[in-house]
Amino acid sequence: MKIIVDRQRCDGNGVCMGIAPEVFDVDDDLYLHVAETIPEDPELRARVRQSITSCPILALKLVEE
Amino acid sequence: MGTRQRIVVAGGSLAGHSAVTELVGLVPEAEIVWVTGEPHKTYSKPALSKEFMQARNELAELTLPDVAGDRPRGLRILRGRSCVSLDASGRAVTLDDGERIDFDQLLVATGAAARMPGMLRGVDGVFPLRTLDDAVAIRARLADRPKVAVVGGGLIGCELAASVRAFGLDVTIVERLDTLLDRPFGGALGSYFLDLHRANGVELVMGAMVERVALEEGRVAGVHLADGTEIAAGLVLVGAGSEPCTQWLDGSGLQVGDGVLCDAHLATSSPGIFAAGDVARWTNPIYGLRMRVEHWTNASAQGRAAARNMVALATGRQDLRKAFADVPYFWSDQYGQKIQMVGWHEGHDRVELDRSGDVPGPLARFYRNGRLIAAAGVNAPRVVMRLRRQIEDEARAAEAA
Ligand SMILES: Cc1cc2nc3c(=O)[nH]c(=O)nc-3n(C[C@H](O)[C@H](O)[C@H](O)COP(=O)(O)OP(=O)(O)OC[C@H]3O[C@@H](n4cnc5c(N)ncnc54)[C@H](O)[C@@H]3O)c2cc1C
Ligand code: SF4
Repeated sequence: MKIIVDRQRCDGNGVCMGIAPEVFDVDDDLYLHVAETIPEDPELRARVRQSITSCPILALKLVEE
Repeated sequence: MGTRQRIVVAGGSLAGHSAVTELVGLVPEAEIVWVTGEPHKTYSKPALSKEFMQARNELAELTLPDVAGDRPRGLRILRGRSCVSLDASGRAVTLDDGERIDFDQLLVATGAAARMPGMLRGVDGVFPLRTLDDAVAIRARLADRPKVAVVGGGLIGCELAASVRAFGLDVTIVERLDTLLDRPFGGALGSYFLDLHRANGVELVMGAMVERVALEEGRVAGVHLADGTEIAAGLVLVGAGSEPCTQWLDGSGLQVGDGVLCDAHLATSSPGIFAAGDVARWTNPIYGLRMRVEHWTNASAQGRAAARNMVALATGRQDLRKAFADVPYFWSDQYGQKIQMVGWHEGHDRVELDRSGDVPGPLARFYRNGRLIAAAGVNAPRVVMRLRRQIEDEARAAEAA
């Protein structure tokens, strides 16, 4: 599972972090850090997918399942 | 259930989108009928008052991805059609074109609509902001560079004022109370918001009531206040709050009271009928209170949770059944400031305001009986998210005690 962030768009609102904090972390400069590797846990992966569709400015893309 | 199970999802925004996505994945053999209300594909509402209003993005960039990629076989999407009534005991909804659809299970995700005071309704040049159509209409009027009056200093009003200022237009906010954003932030950051809007050139008229609109050749020319003042404006934007869309449930037998009443599992008073998103008033185990949360992350998470509980009920899969215990979260963007709130401040008996400089902006912590129940901060996402976890931990500890 690999995620790409569109840096032009992401404004650090933290919606993704609210849904899957294990994977997404917005720092105090409003910069989003994404975990390098995402554990196989299906429940977590479902939430990561949900974070991607819930990003209110569509800044996240899943490039590999 | 002998024949193929049919699930109806009413409401085509985030809660509905998130539920349908989950249902398609969990029960591909079921027939899912999604009645969306609006004619558009699911789009981002938060962007309407922010990026979209500032013309920093366009419709294509607001549209959420289709559910489960291409069209799953069992999914029927009825776009632009609405449910007009529910027969809870007869297990059927009726649509605006008269079609009656029987269901085994129903999810109510019909959200909320903008509240429009009577005297502001139907006036050319006066707009609420709730839907894409509202936003498109407002943007078209901004092109004429009118003077703008914003009625209501809540989230929508303040974000609109900030977005309109980005074009350099004159903006006046008229607010009934003496502070801005009183309800969403529990009054704690009131003076911060007053300073923020003033510093960015917004005229603030506080403690004032709009009595009627002024008209010129059939179009709005301003607003008259109760004290006789007139504020000239060629465009009036109304942020007067919202109301849950439950009219279509009148007479259905479903329990409704400022939202559809649900238990901790998002189940309504009628078996097999669930609710999620802005329309749902559910018992949040974190607080032991019934609440209706009108925020983006909540609609996403609740849609998914309701879908899982529905499948658990229909199939007996107990692993999917879970109470929706959540610390609410929302953010707001104004003049490039990231304002965030976690938790539920209602019933707080103490607020601590931290301007120590250890955090980038003001930070407020809300307590009840010594327990942290909510927090608000500016440009401090990590601190705020840490407090979100603390709120949850303290709630679980209180429950265990
Ligand atoms: C301008 C704006 C800015 C916002 N900004 C933020 C923000 O910054 N942060 C944040 O956390 N939240 C924000 N929100 C709130 C957030 O957008 C909502 O919480 C979220 O949209 C709720 O989703 P929902 O699916 O429950 O309902 P809604 O988005 O209200 O959608 C309900 C859907 O149901 C449909 N419907 C209604 N009646 C019927 C019917 N009878 N039959 C069928 N369909 C029906 C409607 O057409 C609509 O598509 C904002 C909202 C607005 C309007
Ligand atoms: S939800 Fe989207 S915009 Fe918000 S922090 Fe995550 S990627 Fe960035």
